[in-house]
Amino acid sequence: MSVSKSLDTDLLRSEKQTLFRFSSLYILFSIVIVFAFSFMYYDAQKDLMLQEKRHELQEHSKNLIEDLKQLHINFDKNKYYPRSDAYESAILDSDENLIFQTIKTRVKLNEILYLGDGMIHLVSIPESYYVGAKFVIVMIKDDELWLEHVKKELLLFNSIALSVMLIVGYILLQLFIKPMRDAMHLLDRFIKDTTHELNTPVSTIVTNIEMINKENLDEKTLKKINRIDIGAKTISNIYQDLTYLTLGNKIISNDETLDIAHVVEERIEYFKSLASARKVTLHSTIIQNTSLYMDKGKFSKLLDNLISNAIKYNKMQGSVTVHVDTRRIVVEDSGIGIAKKNIAKLQDRYARFNKSSGGFGIGLNIVSSIAKEYSLNIKITSEEKIGTKVHVSW
Amino acid sequence: MLTKVLFLLLFSSTLLYSNVYETNCVACHEELPVSIDKYFYRYLLQYSSKREVKKAMIKYLNSPSQKRSVMAEAFIRRFGVKAKTTLKHKELRDAIDIYWDKYKVFGTLK
Repeated sequence: MSVSKSLDTDLLRSEKQTLFRFSSLYILFSIVIVFAFSFMYYDAQKDLMLQEKRHELQEHSKNLIEDLKQLHINFDKNKYYPRSDAYESAILDSDENLIFQTIKTRVKLNEILYLGDGMIHLVSIPESYYVGAKFVIVMIKDDELWLEHVKKELLLFNSIALSVMLIVGYILLQLFIKPMRDAMHLLDRFIKDTTHELNTPVSTIVTNIEMINKENLDEKTLKKINRIDIGAKTISNIYQDLTYLTLGNKIISNDETLDIAHVVEERIEYFKSLASARKVTLHSTIIQNTSLYMDKGKFSKLLDNLISNAIKYNKMQGSVTVHVDTRRIVVEDSGIGIAKKNIAKLQDRYARFNKSSGGFGIGLNIVSSIAKEYSLNIKITSEEKIGTKVHVSW
Repeated sequence: MLTKVLFLLLFSSTLLYSNVYETNCVACHEELPVSIDKYFYRYLLQYSSKREVKKAMIKYLNSPSQKRSVMAEAFIRRFGVKAKTTLKHKELRDAIDIYWDKYKVFGTLK
């Protein structure tokens, strides 16, 4: 068997979760950085704009204070607050009470120059408090041209920054998953090499057992031959599983309409010797016969894995029943069951939750990949020490 | 009947308070060449808020000195520092309240 170099290695669910978390964290971190920078840039541009307007506002403030001085001197004759078309204004006393304002606006006294309510404010404190005004505030309208400019710049910069971060993130992700991929590749390569070496001896054993004329054998020898037959079938199953796993995507499907009840009976017959060795009884319940258009070999592989697991993880003198119903088969066992927390991880490759029985943890991964190929739904329900039910529906 | 008595009491007390200012402040200031409102605007120029102005006035009238006066040095030199008030604290406060209300800037600007 030739060993393919383009390995189709799937990452495990936990590894995918780790990668998802890393990606989410990276994206979040990138967005936070971009937002923080955008905010700082916006703030700097706003300050720059305010400084540019400071001189104009100072001129207005000077004029207003001079007008207030005149008003103060002539207050007994004139009570008209000085106004200008060039700016709006407000005056407050030393207790920050508003004396007068030309436009309704919220004024802040903790900043000298600031932007608020679409107006640029400058707070001044005159040398003398004309008409009681300790705080003189002049305001001009913000034309927001600078804001439009900043928005355009930020849009451009953020697009470039996010693109760069995305590329860097992708490179980091590749570096991050490399050790995981290497480990998976190593395991896959090992399995491929092993299957390659198993091929010839397994074929020889199975063929030769089939060629033996069992009618001429005495009971003792027949028992021994049966045991060899079971062993050879077990190895053959493992071999087929491993072959499917390594060449799964390259096997050409030969789809046909399958008589499900017939295939189920055939596979039950195949597993009878294995089941009897473990004192497990095998049954099939045909509630209603059904058909399915798919590759027979793949359907048999799916069923073999389910039956094989049901036998393997059963208790002594337990039972396995395959129910066939309309568009559904259910493989039910009276086995050890699976803990609820492990059910979700069952279909991961190399997932094993019982170390008392052998295996590579690839059976349900194969079932899962075949089901995916033919859009079959797999549902596993299990209760510890009571048994497991695997529902395959289409 | 009770309403009438209360109204009379209120009316007489209002008259009494205005008299405190008129009789104790205006009466003397009328004799000076600088009208009483000019002092108010000097206080406003220096102290700004209602609270600060009233506080400074009470402080000066209770303990007048050149240092505490808001008037120019030349004015003090010519007219001197006034004598300490003989009014009780409440009377003085009432007189200043009337003074503030008469010349205040709040609500008078157009």
